[in-house]
Amino acid sequence: MVTRVLRGGALLLLGTSGAVAARQPPPAAYVWNLPTGFPAPRVPADNPMTVAKAELGRHLFYDTRLSANGTQSCGHCHQQAKAFTDGKERAFGSTGDVHPRNSMSLVNVAYAGALTWANPSLTRLEDQALVPMFGEHPVELGWTKPANALLDRLKRDRTYQHLFATAFDRTPTAFSIDNVAKAIASFERTIISARSPYDRYHSDRDNNAISTAARRGETLFFSQPFACFRCHNGFLMGGGADFEGRERDAEGSVEFHNTGLYNLAGALSYPPPNTGINEITHRAEDVGKFKAPTLRNIALTGPYMHDGSIATLDDVLDHYAAGGRTIAAGPKQGVGHDNVNKSRSIRGFPLSADQRADFLAFLNSLTDEAVLHDPRFANPWPPPQETR
Amino acid sequence: MTGNGRRLRAAALIGMTMAATTWLHAQAADTLAIAGDVSKSMTLTAADLKAMPRTTVSLMDQGREVKYGGVLVAEILARAGAPLGRDLSGPAVATYVLASGKDGYAALFSLGELDPAMTSSDVIVVDTIDGQPLFDYQGPFRIVAPHDKRGARGVRMLQRLDVVRLRK
Repeated sequence: MVTRVLRGGALLLLGTSGAVAARQPPPAAYVWNLPTGFPAPRVPADNPMTVAKAELGRHLFYDTRLSANGTQSCGHCHQQAKAFTDGKERAFGSTGDVHPRNSMSLVNVAYAGALTWANPSLTRLEDQALVPMFGEHPVELGWTKPANALLDRLKRDRTYQHLFATAFDRTPTAFSIDNVAKAIASFERTIISARSPYDRYHSDRDNNAISTAARRGETLFFSQPFACFRCHNGFLMGGGADFEGRERDAEGSVEFHNTGLYNLAGALSYPPPNTGINEITHRAEDVGKFKAPTLRNIALTGPYMHDGSIATLDDVLDHYAAGGRTIAAGPKQGVGHDNVNKSRSIRGFPLSADQRADFLAFLNSLTDEAVLHDPRFANPWPPPQETR
Repeated sequence: MTGNGRRLRAAALIGMTMAATTWLHAQAADTLAIAGDVSKSMTLTAADLKAMPRTTVSLMDQGREVKYGGVLVAEILARAGAPLGRDLSGPAVATYVLASGKDGYAALFSLGELDPAMTSSDVIVVDTIDGQPLFDYQGPFRIVAPHDKRGARGVRMLQRLDVVRLRK
């Protein structure tokens, strides 16, 4: 009898997590329900998509406790109503640091071959999630590794106790920075946008979904001398989509372009620290080269360019029509048209008022209102109570 | 560049662009012209193309299989009297075909690479995608070169096939 009790106790001690794990059903695999023309996203083998992980990630994404001082979440710079951008020229961190660059949209980020404006090697959302958490230049969420205080905050919260247990397991080790990053990445991969009028025109063959002007604008987009599609290509209308089964060439799948936005005198023709992929490669020919962002929802994601230095789509058209921007005076003075690294595709073109209207109609047809209101991508936390 | 140089460049650009984009608002009939060093220049309509022997090629486009329907370029050129098959020998081998779109974009193919008796490039003039007409920005006709590694020769809004024989 004593032996039997001891054996039972030993089983309890040894098997706590195993027994619970055995009772816990395997996490439900995430079903993409992809729209026509959208291939399966490439998902890292060590972070398969599950419903539970994406749901945990959504809570983390919108939780201001993710910043050390409790003031900011990922959702501050990536707001659903603005197609997961923030409407600012440049983002602000939780301690007031100004980010050197404009917040990129997270819409369809599951397909982004490179995740940031100017880092060809940052290709996994799991890695990218750590940058705002631990980055120091600028400070964004303001943590220092190992960020035990963050994990303690999460462990104490009953919602997270449930969400981490469902997404990973019930052991205390489930609360790790690695799992936080995996969950946030999983949520971000779910934000797929393909319900714009342009999609209805193409996928559903609904000729009334977009205006005649927008159809003309699409034709201009794909025609000489504009040829916008050379940089904004594929179903993302952006640089370098990646997806399951796509072959990656030696140079990587994403091209970076100097569009003649600046031409400062001296060795660096773009104002530091925004020197493009030159920041990473240190090659002179890479100064000013940035990723071409997706044009999906572009009407919602201004101001534009890597530093938010162009306010409207109208002004962006002027920039490309001129084949580069001229800044007449001040510290950024220079004729961008003549930048030695400028892409050969940026040559300038006359743009009539009709053509401008057609371009804008086309770009506006890329707005997917549904993604802005989809509850699957919305903040799950109740609004903060006002202090009385 | 001098001020005069800039003005000249701007004027040239305006001329090029106006010439290249007036087609967009024009209501000209959508036809495909075959001209140059052929015995019988011709202009084909969409209906003409539908009546020719049809070919379908399947391509993977961003992870998705797309089926293009159309007519082999060689089939069209044969009707215009271009030298193909046994006739494609000697000086005639130095012949190329320039495929041009309404917007002025153009791509070049040697006649030899278009001739199924010489190679199997399967270059076609397509008028359908997955059984549907091409979209405005692509059609009504387009070149598809299914074995090209890049799509740069896939001339959209195809308007002309000009045959040029370099050695008579």
